[in-house]
Amino acid sequence: MSKLSLGGKTSSGKLSSWVQPSFGDFFGGSGLNTLPSTKGLSGESKSKARSSSADVGGKKPKKRKGEPQISKLEPGVFSSRRGSEENQDEPWVDVHAPQTQAELAVHKKKVEEVESWLRVHLDLKSTNKGGAVLLLTGPSGCGKTATVRVLANDACCHIQEWTNPTTAEYRTDDSFRESFDPASRFNSFHSSSQAAAFQEFLLRANKYNRLQMSGDDGAQERKIILVEDFPNQFYRQPGCLHDILRRFVRTGRCPLVFIVSDSLSGDTSSRLLFPKDIQEELSIHNVSFNPVAPTSMMKVLSRIATVEASKSAGRISVPDKAALEQLCSGSSGDIRSAINSLQFSSFTDFSLEKSLWASKKGKSSTSAAKPSARPKGRGRSAKSTEGLEESPAIGGKDASLFLFRALGKILYCKRESYEAGDVPKLPAHLSEHQRDKLLVDPELVIERSHMSGEFFNLYLHQNYMDFFSDVEDVARASEYLSDADFLTAEWTSRSTMLEYGSSVATRGLIHSNTARAQAAHQSSVGFKPLHKPHWLHINKTYRENYLTAQSLFISFCLTPVSLVTELVPYLAKLSNPMRNQAQITFIQDIGHLSLRRFPGRLKLEALGDKDPGLLDLDSDHEETGTQSTEPGTQTTLPGDTTAVPTLPNSQEPGGDLPASQPQPTTAEALLDEEDLLIEEYDSD
Amino acid sequence: MSLWVDKYRPTSLAKLDYHKEQANQLKNLVQCGDFPHLLVYGPSGAGKKTRIMCLLRELYGAGVEKLRIEHQSIVAPSKKKIEINTIASNYHLEVNPSDAGNSDRVVIQELIKTVAQSQQIQSSTQREFKVVLLTEVDRLTKDAQHALRRTMEKYMATCRLILCCNSTSKVISPIRSRCLAVRVPLPSTEEVCSVLVGVCKKEGLNLPTELARQIAEKSGRNLRKALLMCEACRVQQYPFSADQDIPETDWEVYLRETANAIVNQQSPQRLLEVRARLYELLTHCIPAEIIMKGLVSELLSNCDGHLKPEVAQMAAYYEHRLQLGSKAIYHLEAFVAKFMAIYKKFMEDGLDNFMF
Repeated sequence: MSKLSLGGKTSSGKLSSWVQPSFGDFFGGSGLNTLPSTKGLSGESKSKARSSSADVGGKKPKKRKGEPQISKLEPGVFSSRRGSEENQDEPWVDVHAPQTQAELAVHKKKVEEVESWLRVHLDLKSTNKGGAVLLLTGPSGCGKTATVRVLANDACCHIQEWTNPTTAEYRTDDSFRESFDPASRFNSFHSSSQAAAFQEFLLRANKYNRLQMSGDDGAQERKIILVEDFPNQFYRQPGCLHDILRRFVRTGRCPLVFIVSDSLSGDTSSRLLFPKDIQEELSIHNVSFNPVAPTSMMKVLSRIATVEASKSAGRISVPDKAALEQLCSGSSGDIRSAINSLQFSSFTDFSLEKSLWASKKGKSSTSAAKPSARPKGRGRSAKSTEGLEESPAIGGKDASLFLFRALGKILYCKRESYEAGDVPKLPAHLSEHQRDKLLVDPELVIERSHMSGEFFNLYLHQNYMDFFSDVEDVARASEYLSDADFLTAEWTSRSTMLEYGSSVATRGLIHSNTARAQAAHQSSVGFKPLHKPHWLHINKTYRENYLTAQSLFISFCLTPVSLVTELVPYLAKLSNPMRNQAQITFIQDIGHLSLRRFPGRLKLEALGDKDPGLLDLDSDHEETGTQSTEPGTQTTLPGDTTAVPTLPNSQEPGGDLPASQPQPTTAEALLDEEDLLIEEYDSD
Repeated sequence: MSLWVDKYRPTSLAKLDYHKEQANQLKNLVQCGDFPHLLVYGPSGAGKKTRIMCLLRELYGAGVEKLRIEHQSIVAPSKKKIEINTIASNYHLEVNPSDAGNSDRVVIQELIKTVAQSQQIQSSTQREFKVVLLTEVDRLTKDAQHALRRTMEKYMATCRLILCCNSTSKVISPIRSRCLAVRVPLPSTEEVCSVLVGVCKKEGLNLPTELARQIAEKSGRNLRKALLMCEACRVQQYPFSADQDIPETDWEVYLRETANAIVNQQSPQRLLEVRARLYELLTHCIPAEIIMKGLVSELLSNCDGHLKPEVAQMAAYYEHRLQLGSKAIYHLEAFVAKFMAIYKKFMEDGLDNFMF
């Protein structure tokens, strides 16, 4: 593909280099750096869709090999596809990209939030204080980009998007002249880093308006700068980005929108690139999107299916409702992948499609038949878990949960009462153990939280107390936690026992909470802030202090235990000179215990709804070994310091919400929204 | 000015203040110039180390008192580097192998090997063996203890081991049978008193016997603790009065308050506060076993006789868990929660009986 198009591009590229981004539209043909605002989802989606349709070609013969009788049909199938190539090659994701707000599969509140932000900040005259920055986060395929595009279109403004230049395009003004020299293309890429190019882009995009062309109606003079693609350097040195942003905020004139996808695997780029303090400093407005609700996804999918079916006049077989539902649940809120897999499954011959979905159909039809009898809330989760537990549908995604949600699922332990018929009763003497049916599968929750059971238990341990009201329940729950730790004590069997351990802990916690045993009595506990566990930090401090004590007072020739329990505390009470500074500070620090009623030393660090776990501490469990009291062979963990609370906010354990809690109101709203979604789903 | 504990530590077997008969036996033991491996055990603060050092001095003369601290690094077969501090004189080497955690086996083997392989230079004037003093042998892993047993036999010619621990119950029997076991019991209250008075006299202070007795009792006959307490008393107030407060360590006071907090109220909220206090103790380096022990004794003294057996049993159960498990807080907290539940139930039942 490249020879020709490259040539074309260089001609425009030669002239422009830095100009190109801001005037990209002018060169329409190159169309790489700017996409017309009305056009579908991002480039990422395109390539994804392409690769998936490439998969269609690749996979199909493979499938067919198993079924020789069908293979005869193959040429026919292919020829028919070739006939309508131009239509079918276009991914449905692009063809059916939302054009209006009504078509967006995003929750209305979120759209409104973004829209109102845009409205305020697009109004140049009223707010001329500087550039405003909006940060959109959310899982991939939840409609972030689509929302921005639709809204920009509605507001009649123009989107200018940053795309990372490929290596060949590394050029700055300095090499501007050289670039006329054909050889210079290869010499010039040292001249500019992506970051510098990015800064240039922001500056230019900010300063210059688009050229007024005669064909333009002149209305589209307002614009939004959109950044989805970050120069790699920023991931390594986020400070770089922050500096650029600071400058932009001071001088900027048009709104800047960043779109960052959440990921579960620790390195959430949104947290790295936009830490909380920067967000506050630059007053970056953060809107976090949720996965697309099954209801709205169903609407979109069925709309697309009907449109395509009518267009293709029978060639495309549209999956029935049950199959669509399957798609919905399999995609776990990623509408892009859902549409892609819809397209894929519709292309296939019906018989193939049937075999693919055959296993699903039995299940889903039963679940589709039932819901009317089921109470609200139940239908959805049952179906979705069923769907997810099966082998994933084509293009199905592995569902995953943020830690915050995962913990919530265990701690709030939603239940539902049994239907009148099938209540399994326990005998009278065991009746206190009678519990209503659980709506969550603890093992699945742990699996989806992407954490080791041990860490998950720590999080549970830190937070379970708030959800209990009775001491006896707490006693039982803590016993289960103790059991769980005991199970994993033996290192030889640890890898196997870890799963059992976390299972015991989660199920134990859920079971022992008698206040939430019956669905009917599960009154809302309200929003409780969740916190990060202290234990790792405490244990680390303990071991460090222990070692320090030993090395500082080695001349006393004492065993460590008597050293820390007898010598150091009494040294603190003696006015004995002849000690060096390090010893004195240590004695002051460790020998004295403030006798205040409640220690203020522990800072509760709130767990945000999108925070990853403390994965950087992973490395120490092996070394802790079986004896936590042993100083052991600790290598002090350098990565650890990040776990130390950075938002100092001393809080007495009995006190109310710490201010460090990230906007409990929005988190509450999130939870509410979840409830809302449940109802929406049940209504159809 | 060093601490009284160090300043007035007896340096020869003849000068020991108590267990004189045992001191005599030890003297006889080394008289002939040789002795078997020793296993010295007894509670903390009874004078084990003092006796061992006296013994060494008896053997080698004043040279053993010239101590130097050495940092040794040993490379384990797994290429892992282990740093360990040793205290050594020309004649002996003291090491706490449990500092090395799980790699203590390597430490034992390597250290003893290096010591044992280097012969004494002037064997005519000196003993022909060196002494390796291993402290906290009861905290060694089973692995290390078995290694120790082999090493003991192998290097008997050039090296004697003195093992020092609090209790022999965690020392494997092959080692116990290869050593001469010497038990150093705690001094009696009277002996502690006389030591305290004697030390004060040397300091030129006048210690009332009443106060000395109180200190001795409060210290639990742990002589080290008693001397530290006495010195703290001196800092607090002099001249001494018979009924003055004996300063306790902060953590002990803190632990008692924690126990009181548990008895005063039983609710999840309180448990959360107790957890914070436990964390506080842990960050101040108080080992979990000691916290457990302290809590249990405080709680037992606070609760009704009917509850005591149950509480003690629970304590034993969770103490065991504490040893086996890896995260102490789970077990400490489980114990506290369980106590709260039992105590609350007991109080409610009592109240009901009272009502009718």
